[in-house]
Amino acid sequence: MNVQEQKNGCRCFYGHGIPRVKLEELAGKLIVVEGADGSGRSTQIARLVDWLETGGHPTVQVGLKRSTLVSKELELAQKGNILSRSTLSLFYATDFADQLENIILPALKAGFIVLADRYIYTLMARDVVRGMDEGWLKNLYGIAVKPDAVFYLSVQPQELVQRNLAKNASLDYWESGMDLGLSRDMFDSFLKYQTAMQAAFRKLQKTYGFTIIDGNRPVGSITKDLRKKIRMVLAE
Amino acid sequence: MKTFADLNFPGRLIAVEGLDGSGKSTQIYLLKRWLEAEGIKVYFSEWNSSELVKSATSKGKKRELLTPTTFSLIHATDFADRYERHLLPLLRAGYVVLCDRYVFTAFARDVVRGCPPEWVRGIYNFAALPDITFFFKTDLEVSLNRILEGRPKLKFFEAGMDLRLSADPYESFRIFQGRILEQYVAMSDEFKFVVMDANQNVEKQQCIVRKLVSEKIELRKFRRRSPLPLPPAFRPGEAKALEHEEDLAAA
Repeated sequence: MNVQEQKNGCRCFYGHGIPRVKLEELAGKLIVVEGADGSGRSTQIARLVDWLETGGHPTVQVGLKRSTLVSKELELAQKGNILSRSTLSLFYATDFADQLENIILPALKAGFIVLADRYIYTLMARDVVRGMDEGWLKNLYGIAVKPDAVFYLSVQPQELVQRNLAKNASLDYWESGMDLGLSRDMFDSFLKYQTAMQAAFRKLQKTYGFTIIDGNRPVGSITKDLRKKIRMVLAE
Repeated sequence: MKTFADLNFPGRLIAVEGLDGSGKSTQIYLLKRWLEAEGIKVYFSEWNSSELVKSATSKGKKRELLTPTTFSLIHATDFADRYERHLLPLLRAGYVVLCDRYVFTAFARDVVRGCPPEWVRGIYNFAALPDITFFFKTDLEVSLNRILEGRPKLKFFEAGMDLRLSADPYESFRIFQGRILEQYVAMSDEFKFVVMDANQNVEKQQCIVRKLVSEKIELRKFRRRSPLPLPPAFRPGEAKALEHEEDLAAA
């Protein structure tokens, strides 16, 4: 460990962490981009990867429901729509843990920049909206390593609905929170659910202190903003 | 943590815990047969049996993809699915639910694998405690012999091979089971386990189990149908009214 890192010394787990992991070996950087579907998350991550790799930085990408272990089963179970809330929550946590241990931690150890297309905050926000106990979630996700930066792309629900419909001509069942029975009308449910999600994110922001980025702006100016902030992270 | 009785559930939950080869599955099976014969509403649920999660778990085990953390979480997912979709509704409906292994299996195993005890317990804290937990306590050698005699090929995770305790699966299994036994013993008082001497013969143990269950749970309350009421003394003229009532009931 060099002096610089020691001074910043902020590599830590949120809670109990993963057994037998040596935090001081995790030399890479973990950068998280959070936001709803249609917030421009994927676009921004693709641009950041281009920029970082062109600049000579090795990168790795992770995201929700991408684990070798359970992604397929999770997808199936969600289609069948038969999951109760703790089950869904734990299934996602398993998916997250699998990627954490098999991709994120080894990549950080190898000095890579890990770009996470969403992280524990989306998972927690979804559960908070569904009335799950926050203390329970905090303990569960105490396995997560604290990122070097978290950016939340905040976009008005009215704008999200337009972007999602422009892209897919339909709204996703889960992103509309249809399981919550907020409204039988999918359009209304989407707006209500996304508003509740934003409130949950604001609440989590107080605990986890991520950077809120105004995602209502043009793509280029958001990228510029992100680059500036990431440059500072890389300089640490 | 509270039991289902403490929480005023109409149903009751009985769990059995113990090492592989402790005879707990035989005991709970015999208990189930008896309760069924008594006309009790009974449901049996086994650890790691949710259809939903099974394919992921078996893939993880076969391909040795699981770490202590994911091993713990995937079993918690399995438990949550059974708990929320089966156990809770049945307990609300006044069933006697029998569980072959409950949260204590995770408390023991995951901790032996190196997960922090508070983390594991925190994850399962949505589950209420059983109304009776039988811990079938055998001498380590007895349960080892029962397993090793009958089924010589040990599976990777079953033998705790992921812990790298020994390159020899049998030696690894011994050490692993020994550590789990220590965890069970350490939890016995805290969770008020009914500790059974599982070295004695099966029939004798079953007698004790049945006696204890009938003492602790007022079984007549859990019958599928309350005994049919005696027919009213037949008086002429009432037959027609009775038939009419039956028709109404049938409708």
